[in-house]
Amino acid sequence: MGGRSEYFGPIVREPDGKVFHARAEGRVFGISAFVLALLGRNLDAFRFSMEQLPRDIYMASYYRRMLGGCERLLVRAGYLGPDEVDARLEGRQAGAGPRHGSRVRLAVISTLMRSGLRPVLPQWLCAHVLPWVFGASRPPLRGRRFATGDRVRVRDRQAPGHTRQPGYVTGKPGIITAHLGATLFPDARAVGRRARPQHIYTVAFDGNDLWGDAAEAGTEVRVDLYEPYLEAA
Amino acid sequence: MSHAIDDLAARVEAVESLLVEKGLVDPNVIDEVIEHYEHNVGPLNGAKVVARAWTDPAYRQRLLADATSAVAEFGFGGAEGQMITAVENTQTVHNVVVCTLCSCYPWPVLGLPPRWYKSPEYRSRMVAEPRNALREMGLDLPAVVGIRVWDSSAEARYLVVPERPAGTDDLDAAQLSKLVTRDAMIGVARALPPDAAADG
Repeated sequence: MGGRSEYFGPIVREPDGKVFHARAEGRVFGISAFVLALLGRNLDAFRFSMEQLPRDIYMASYYRRMLGGCERLLVRAGYLGPDEVDARLEGRQAGAGPRHGSRVRLAVISTLMRSGLRPVLPQWLCAHVLPWVFGASRPPLRGRRFATGDRVRVRDRQAPGHTRQPGYVTGKPGIITAHLGATLFPDARAVGRRARPQHIYTVAFDGNDLWGDAAEAGTEVRVDLYEPYLEAA
Repeated sequence: MSHAIDDLAARVEAVESLLVEKGLVDPNVIDEVIEHYEHNVGPLNGAKVVARAWTDPAYRQRLLADATSAVAEFGFGGAEGQMITAVENTQTVHNVVVCTLCSCYPWPVLGLPPRWYKSPEYRSRMVAEPRNALREMGLDLPAVVGIRVWDSSAEARYLVVPERPAGTDDLDAAQLSKLVTRDAMIGVARALPPDAAADG
């Protein structure tokens, strides 16, 4: 959504500071955590599932989008029938998904999830185990193409589908300011395709290069970009 | 998926009842997840980290070099905290964080993001007109201060270390942590003035 003026409007802070504004929001959040653990699906697949929702559902709200993303993943995995949720809402019968849960699996996932729900966790777990569980960092199989200080340009999109390349930097020149190691590649991971880990760089873009005359003075945007998005400039 | 029924509460209840019947989710664990994010994690975690960085130069160095490990010293970590990067405000550079693609946010130190952070308005404007958007949110930066917007689009999640307010030399880390708000650690506000430490 970066820079897209059709979304420009007042930024409205909520006064109450509540984490969840309605019971339903918390339920969606908790169900999503379960569904991702259950399906062993990664965040990229979840994001891609949300991106494929009908636009009115995608734009309805954060939690409506999250729930829609969960439903799509569950239908695809065979746990829900395509019409099963709507039928339940309307009090009809509908074809159920062919798959059922396993009691053992549910118990294991519940135990794992519960183990992380503490105010503080052991330092070694936070520093060395959880980043591996929740993150996608992996040892790179190839050396990196760019170094800090290199001038680069963001390439045109190579293929449709999920990407972490923001539209507003496409085609723009920038300078590498940091190398953040390598991770699994979201564009491939979202569709379950195997791909080697890709290097990530922080790229600094001058406001003038992004927005031209409309740019505010003295502003820059730094974006973390995967190596396949970049070419030497 | 029907477009007609857009009542989130009814829909999530339908989904949850189906998933419970199929043995896919445990509603008690869902309760505990909600409880955890309402009470265990939140900006008080990040405030402790920042206050320590203000008072302990060696810790500040560790935080700026590898925030994931420095935050782990407090026992904070987990989902959306796989690679935390701390960026420090100075007299000439102000940092602010956004996620234009979705709503990436450093959960272990800030909790779940506020609604405005996830809004299309914030996500579209903060990269294109940060000075204007910050002013509207109550932070009017002098022209000499450059603005560095971090669009957290990949693995890293950013934590802004605000400037330590003037007149706080006699405050300890616990008192200082009361000055460090969520908004200051996103970069849409400054840390509070020292008299705020006396409250609560």
